[in-house]
Amino acid sequence: MRKRWWVACAGLPIVAALAMIQSGPLPLRAWLTHPLASFILARGQNPWPVHLTRPGSKPLSAMAQLGREVFFDPSLSSSGRLSCASCHSPDHAYGPSGGEPAVNGGPDLSRQGVRAVPSLMYLERQPGFSIGPDDDEAEDVNLTQLAALAVKAPRARKTAGDSAAAANLVPQGGLFWDGRADTLQDQASGPLLSPLEMDGGDVETVAAKLRQAPYAARMRALVGPAVFDTPALAVSEALFAVARFQIEDVSFHPYISKFDFWLEGKARLTRSELRGYLLFNDPSKANCAGCHLAAPRPDGLPPLFTDHQFEALGAPRNPALAANRDPAYFDLGVCGPWRSDMVGETRFCGMFTTPTLRNVATRSVFFHNGVFHSLRTVMDFYNDRDVAPEHVFPRGAGGSVARFDDIPPELRGNVDVVDAPFDRHPGDRPAMTSAEEDDIVAFLRALTDGYRP
Amino acid sequence: MNSRKSLLLAAVFAALAAMRGAADAAEGAIAPSGTAPQEIAPAATPIRHLVVIFNENVSFDHYFATYPNAANPPDQPVFAATPAAPAVNNLVSANLLTNNPNFTNKANGPNAAEPFRLDRTQASTVTQEHRYTAEQQAYNGGKADLFPKYTGKGTPGGAGAFGTKGQVMGYYDGNTVTALWNYARHFAMSDNFFDETYGPSTPGAINLVSGQTNGMRIVATTKKPSTLAAVSYYVADGQGGFTMINDVDPGYDVCSVAGDQTMLEGKNIGDLLNAGRIAWGGFMGGFNLQVVNADGSTGCARSTHSPVVGSDVRDYVAHHNWFQYYASTANPSHARPSSLQAIGYSFQADGTTADPANHQYDLRDFYAAVKAGNYPAVSFIKLPAYQDGHAGYSDPLDEQAGTVAVINFLQQQPGWKDTAVIIAWDDSDGWYDHAFASTTNPSFDPEADQLDGPGKCGMGTARAGVAGKPVNGRCGPGTRLPFLVISPWSKANYVSHDRISEASVARFIEDNWLHGARLGGGSFDETAGSIMDLFDLKSGGGNAALYLDPSTGTPVASPP
Repeated sequence: MRKRWWVACAGLPIVAALAMIQSGPLPLRAWLTHPLASFILARGQNPWPVHLTRPGSKPLSAMAQLGREVFFDPSLSSSGRLSCASCHSPDHAYGPSGGEPAVNGGPDLSRQGVRAVPSLMYLERQPGFSIGPDDDEAEDVNLTQLAALAVKAPRARKTAGDSAAAANLVPQGGLFWDGRADTLQDQASGPLLSPLEMDGGDVETVAAKLRQAPYAARMRALVGPAVFDTPALAVSEALFAVARFQIEDVSFHPYISKFDFWLEGKARLTRSELRGYLLFNDPSKANCAGCHLAAPRPDGLPPLFTDHQFEALGAPRNPALAANRDPAYFDLGVCGPWRSDMVGETRFCGMFTTPTLRNVATRSVFFHNGVFHSLRTVMDFYNDRDVAPEHVFPRGAGGSVARFDDIPPELRGNVDVVDAPFDRHPGDRPAMTSAEEDDIVAFLRALTDGYRP
Repeated sequence: MNSRKSLLLAAVFAALAAMRGAADAAEGAIAPSGTAPQEIAPAATPIRHLVVIFNENVSFDHYFATYPNAANPPDQPVFAATPAAPAVNNLVSANLLTNNPNFTNKANGPNAAEPFRLDRTQASTVTQEHRYTAEQQAYNGGKADLFPKYTGKGTPGGAGAFGTKGQVMGYYDGNTVTALWNYARHFAMSDNFFDETYGPSTPGAINLVSGQTNGMRIVATTKKPSTLAAVSYYVADGQGGFTMINDVDPGYDVCSVAGDQTMLEGKNIGDLLNAGRIAWGGFMGGFNLQVVNADGSTGCARSTHSPVVGSDVRDYVAHHNWFQYYASTANPSHARPSSLQAIGYSFQADGTTADPANHQYDLRDFYAAVKAGNYPAVSFIKLPAYQDGHAGYSDPLDEQAGTVAVINFLQQQPGWKDTAVIIAWDDSDGWYDHAFASTTNPSFDPEADQLDGPGKCGMGTARAGVAGKPVNGRCGPGTRLPFLVISPWSKANYVSHDRISEASVARFIEDNWLHGARLGGGSFDETAGSIMDLFDLKSGGGNAALYLDPSTGTPVASPP
């Protein structure tokens, strides 16, 4: 009796360990080569915690305080009802609060915008727009020259865990879905002046409103008493102040998701989140990390979940966009129509920026044209686009599947069919099972800020 | 088990573990070992050590337009003007803050602008146009009224950068360049220091060490001589040779771009120092290709993340490396010195074997050598690029941190008592400066020279180049730049108005250590002004050290 009790006590942990190995997402070989690390990882913890370097939190400068006032000021819009914060809601990760594919603006809020509202978060390290890696120290090289070089340059496949693709000569960086602005200050002028958005009028109109604003005295104190004598300077300063608010206010880049704390060894991932994390990084499964870089840098800067590069993914056309009622209208990103300097670079047509995935689970509208409304449908798109396109695209007039229907036929060759999971063919097994898609979505939810360890 | 999956796991493990490895490697990259007795080179003045910190791309008015009066908005480092401030030629004293000709001259079109204050929060700005011809056009025959039109077009920096039309008219004050204003008040500054010729970084660096840019030899090129329509880095000099006028990488440097590389004939100050057996070195951030930075980068791509600019900036910029353009002083493979004791010297300890570094080192070597008691007589310092002050990828706050660190360090060394630090800049970036210097180096290239009209810069005959005949491509003096001397032997709270230029630095070295030898071969050291007005050699070297906080630039009682 006594002996049997002892055997049971010794056997239980072995059985438990075997059960852990059997049911967990880690392969046996990992257990054999890294037993302790595998044990810790299987428990949902980071076996090698790191120290993350987060942007410091200091009181806002006078310039940033001015910017905060401008950011929330609806009087700069023609309707008097839209401010920056209307579309970039602080309560929704500085993105849209609703699921509309694009927000309405203009004098009576009846004009629909043309693209989904991007988040303003995690842009503090955004590089300028460039073809290939941005090199601010090389001063005599322009975009046209870079684009010419890119024609002949080979491209490395985007593979999770492999940094070779970082050197690819492809469009990267910049702000907006098409990268047409390089600075947050420039970016802020877009919605302010667009007739479809805040519709602020011309620079003189905006400057006249700034002059009447409650923060006009603050502007004079910072820039000088003559600031309103030059309307362009007044608007530049006000929009720079907005940019400065975005740079200084830590709410734009807090790096406090569950995953950040996991990286630091202060949080445990659930089994589903851990499976999702491994699938996210698996080059032969979802390969998400091929573009949405997930590793912290050696100097402790947290991962941004984007490589800043542009991609033509060929998302389906969104009939809910008013602009799409014109069958001749195609939003082609880098090559226009909303950016004008790369219209001739047709091999970049259809390319849009790769956004960060931080706080992506707080959104209800995805991709540049807002065609998807849940993370699960986005995952389905990645999974089915090539193996079962009929699940993704509508059928055309003749009943055939209208693949890549948001890109004109002659430009569909630009769509990425090389990088996994887009390297498959109709009838192939999809990269992920339904349960695996759910696990990845669970992991994406762990990228939402506001976790308390 | 699925081997693909275990590979994946290994990759995840490796990514996580890599961070620790890199942090370990960054430690102890340089470990000073032992000390070397420093030969004290005989000098004509009490200055036994000259350290030139050569920063990037600001005009005098861009940093000192309102000196000594800062706006002092709340929550920023304060600079309080003292009643005894000396007269200085800037935008305030010239009464150019309003009704500036760059605002009233309609030729500037919609970019016309008055000078305006750049706030400390605007330390990161987009860069300006600053090439040889564009700068001449901005000066418009001396009227200095077409800056927004010709140099106002910038390229962007980080996402948080400031940019506006007429941005070229912006200036910082003592709330941003606080350390420089404090140094100016405590030590000596020139308000009459000029770029030897118009144009950007490479000609500025070359002018500092050799006093002229003629005698350029093409190693590889994709360009034709510069024209108005197609700007490039060189012009035909009119005598069958070439003159460098814009940026280009040095020949054979392993970090240079392949397609465009040049070398220079003629001598530089390093050649004269070698002949005089004076210990000297060029110390550049990023030069040691073996170091691994905190971000894991190494080699020519070694970089540092600047939170001010918001981007990763490569530490080493080949086209800033002055001595690399001359075969006699180059270290194209970035070979390491044979020992800490050999730093500054042509030969290894045995006195006969050439030292592989050939006087070219990393900035870390400067710190290590001086700490070890091996303090060269002449040191040229280039901070890692994110600290060099160049708009677009660097900024005045990172520049301040790097510059103050060097000076705080030096002030604690026993050799400080006979040290002079010069802080100077290589070019103006195209930022507005109101002071025009009448042309003393005329040039008549039909396309590149535009100061006084097409093909015209100045009057008379161009000065002789490397081969002793008049050569084009050296129109100057160019833009006025800041220049400070920080030394126990500098005057205190003093602004010198004597005309000096980049070649004046070479001249000081020649006069102090080389019995007044000159470079020859068309170098402007022959005629460059003397910097001695910034010194007070009779005071006995009593100017006290001034320790500054590297982030705020304000004085601190003891070294941080």
